[in-house]
Amino acid sequence: MGRFLAQRFALAVFVVFVVTLLVAWAIRLSGDPAVMLAEGSSSFSAQDLRNIRAALGLDRPFWAQYAGFVAGMLTGDMGRSFMGGVPVAKMVAQALPLTLLLALLSLAVSLLISVPLGVQAAVHRGGWSDQAIRIVSLLGLSFPNFWLAIMLVLVFSIALGWLPPSGAEGFAGLVMPVATMAIILSATNVRLVRTAMLETLGAQYITVARSKGLSETVVLYKHALRNCAIPLITFIGLQFGGLIGGVVVVERVFNWPGMGSLAFDAVASRDYPVLQAVVTVLAAMIVLVNLLVDVLYGLVDPRVRGT
Amino acid sequence: MRVRLMLSTAVLALSAVTAPVLAPPAGAAGTLTIAQAQDPNTWDPISTFLIAWGAVASNMFDGLVLRDEQLTLKPGLATSWEVLDEGMRLRFKLRQGVTFHNGEPFDAEAVRFTMTRLLGPEGAKGPQQSNYTSIGSVEVLDPYTVDIVLKRPDPVMISKLAGYGAMIVPPKYTAEKGSAEFGQHPVGTGPFKVTGYENKVSLTLEPSAGHWDGKPKLDKVVYRFIVEPNTQVAELQAGRVDVASNVPIALIPAITASPSLHLLSTTGPTVTVLRFNTANGPTRDERVRRAMVMAVDREAIVKQILQGHAKAVTSFQSTLSFGFDPAQKPVPFDPAGAKKLLAEAKLPPGTVVSLDFRSNDTTFREVAQAIAGYLTAAGLKAQVRPFEMNLFTNDIIPNGKTGEMFQMGWGGWTFDYDNTAYLMYHSGEHWNPYDKDAGLDAMLEGQRRIADRGEREKALQKIANFVADHALELPLYNVDTYYGVNRRVKGLVVPPDNRFRLIGTSVE
Repeated sequence: MGRFLAQRFALAVFVVFVVTLLVAWAIRLSGDPAVMLAEGSSSFSAQDLRNIRAALGLDRPFWAQYAGFVAGMLTGDMGRSFMGGVPVAKMVAQALPLTLLLALLSLAVSLLISVPLGVQAAVHRGGWSDQAIRIVSLLGLSFPNFWLAIMLVLVFSIALGWLPPSGAEGFAGLVMPVATMAIILSATNVRLVRTAMLETLGAQYITVARSKGLSETVVLYKHALRNCAIPLITFIGLQFGGLIGGVVVVERVFNWPGMGSLAFDAVASRDYPVLQAVVTVLAAMIVLVNLLVDVLYGLVDPRVRGT
Repeated sequence: MRVRLMLSTAVLALSAVTAPVLAPPAGAAGTLTIAQAQDPNTWDPISTFLIAWGAVASNMFDGLVLRDEQLTLKPGLATSWEVLDEGMRLRFKLRQGVTFHNGEPFDAEAVRFTMTRLLGPEGAKGPQQSNYTSIGSVEVLDPYTVDIVLKRPDPVMISKLAGYGAMIVPPKYTAEKGSAEFGQHPVGTGPFKVTGYENKVSLTLEPSAGHWDGKPKLDKVVYRFIVEPNTQVAELQAGRVDVASNVPIALIPAITASPSLHLLSTTGPTVTVLRFNTANGPTRDERVRRAMVMAVDREAIVKQILQGHAKAVTSFQSTLSFGFDPAQKPVPFDPAGAKKLLAEAKLPPGTVVSLDFRSNDTTFREVAQAIAGYLTAAGLKAQVRPFEMNLFTNDIIPNGKTGEMFQMGWGGWTFDYDNTAYLMYHSGEHWNPYDKDAGLDAMLEGQRRIADRGEREKALQKIANFVADHALELPLYNVDTYYGVNRRVKGLVVPPDNRFRLIGTSVE
C-alpha cells in the first residue's frame, strides 16, 4: 500500500508540473500584457512598453520567469497580479473556498438526487418511473449549463423574485448555482447508478440475500449499492475535472467570485501570475482527487489493497 | 416503499431549500447601486487605463481641471489657469482650503508630487505615463500657484489634466503606502471617499464632508462588479441594482419593456471603421479602395443590424470629437459607380479580398457578413476572417499581417481627433502597419504645434478630409452607449466619456 501510494504521489506531482509548464508557455504565446495594459493610451512608444515589461518581470527569459514561478509556488509565494500588484495568494485564498463550496455542494446535492432515482429506475426497470427518469435525465444531458442557469434566473429571480440573480450572498445566492450544476451532474449520475445497480442486482449474492429473507431496503442499500460504489467513485473522480470546468461557466453567469471568475478575468487581461496560480491550484486539486479515488478503492474494495 | 419515501423526502428537501428564501430588499433609500462590468483591481491613477476606472474613480479624485457632461472644461482643484509662452507653459491658481480624504492638505506641493510620480520611475511601470510625456517640469511658484512646463507642444494637455493619470494624490500618504497599497485604499480629494473595497466583488463610496463642489445627495454608492451583461440586466430587472452599464443592443428590449426601468444613452467614444491594407494587394490601388467605400451601404447597416443604435460616420471620429467636420459629406452608396471604378482599376472580377475582425465582437460579425455581401455584389469575392482579440491587436495588426481590410475601433476619453489620427496614420505608429505618407505625417505633426484652437480645429478637419479623399479607410459607425436605469434614480446624466460624477444624483 505504501509503495502504491508513493508511486501515485510521484506521478501526481509530475502531472501538476507538466500542466504548469504548459500553461506558462501557452499563455505567453497569446499576447503581450504590456500592450493590454497600455491599450487606450493615446501614444505609447516601444520604450514605454519595454518599461512596463521590465516592471512586470517579462524582460527575463522564459526559463527564468518559469523557475521564479515554481520557486515561488514551492515557498507559498504566488507572486503579484499584473493588475495593481495585488498578492495572488490573497486572491486565491478568497476565491478557492467559494469554488470548493460550490463544487462540493453541487456534487453532494447531485448524489442525493441521483442515487435514490437511479436505484428506483433500476428496481423498476422498464416501468413508468424508469422511463420517466430516463427521459428527464436525457433532457438534463441536453441542456447547456449556461442556458439552464439563465432560465433559472428568469424564473426564480425575475418572474418570482425569490432568489438573487447573482452574487455570493449567503445561502440564497448558493441555491441557483448549485441547482444548475447539480441538475447537470445528476443527469449523468442517475444513468450511472441505474446501470451499475442493474448489473449488481443480477448477481447471485443478491438472490442469496433475498432468499435469506432480508428486507428489500437492506438488500438494495446495504448489499447492492455498496457494490456499485467502485464505478460511482471512479466516475465522480473523473467528473471532478469536468465539474471544475462547469464551475467556470456557472460562476460567470451568477457572478460568483470564485476560481473560475478569477481565471476568466486573468485570461482576458493576460494576467500571467494569476492564471498560472489558478491553473496550478486547480490542477493540483484534480490530481489530488484522483489520488484520493485510488486510495478510496483500497478502502471500499479490499481486493485493490493487495495489488 | 422505502425508496419512494426517500424520493418524496428528497423532493420535500428541495422545495424547502427554495421556498423560504425571500426577495432581497429593493435598493435602500439614499443608496445607489451600479453594476460595473470590470474591476480595475487597482485605483491608483497611474497603474491602469480602463474606462471602468474612469467611471468609478472620477468620484474619488479631482483633477486640476474638470470636464462636465458637455465636455466643457471647468475649474477643478485649480480655480483658474492661463496658457503662457505660446502654449508651452500652463499656469494654475489653486483652490485653497481643500483637504484629502485622510486630512492631508492640498497645495502646489501635491500637484508637483503627483506629476513627478506620474513621470518618474513609478509612472513608467504603468500605462499612464506615455500620455503625459510632453510635460517637461512642474514649477511651484507659491503654495497656491503652479506651472506645468511643456517640452513639446501638446494642445490636448489641459483636457488630459481632467482625468486618469493626472488625478491629484496626497503626497505623504502615497509615498508611505506605495502603489499597490494605495491601489487598494485610494485617497483623493473627490466628492466621495472609499469606505469599502472587496476585490472583484464591490466597492463602496460615501460622501466626503465639505467637498468644494457641494455635498452629494446620495448617502452611499455601491458598485458591484458583474462581468456578464445578461446578469447585469437580470439584477436590474430584479431591482437589486439601479444602473446597468454598457447594455448590449440585444438586451435593450428587456429594459424598455419594463415600466420601472428606462434607457439612458449617449454618443459613445468609440468609432468603428474598416482600415485598408494600403501597402500590398489589390487595396494598394486607391481606386479599388474608393470603389469598396462606395459599394457598402452604411445607413442600411446602421438601420438593420445596429437597429438604429448608432450613427454612420464620415471620418474616424464621433460628432463630439474636436476635429469633426460637419461639412464633410459621406461617400454615397453607389454600387454601379463601384463596379465602374473596379473595372477602371482593371481588377479581375472575383478577386478575393478578406475582412479581418475581432472574433469576440458578435455584432461586428454580422456587420462583416453584410459588408462581404455588398462587396460580393460589386464583383469582388469577400471572405470574413475572425481573429482572437489579443492575437489581432498584438500581432496581426501591428505586424501588418492583416488581409485587405481590418476592423478597428478607436476613440479615447479626450475626444480630440489627434488621439486617433496620429496613432492611425502617422508612419511608424503601433497601430499603423501600412500607411506611409510624408505629407500626412507633416500635417499630423504640424497640428500639434498650433496654439490657436480654431486654427488647430481646421488643421484636424483637413486631415480628416485628406484621409477620406485617399480612401485610407472605410468609415462605418459610432455606436451609442446605453445604460439601463431604474426610474427611482434621479438626476443621473450619462457623460459621453462614461466618467460619472454623482454629485447631483439622488434616489427616491
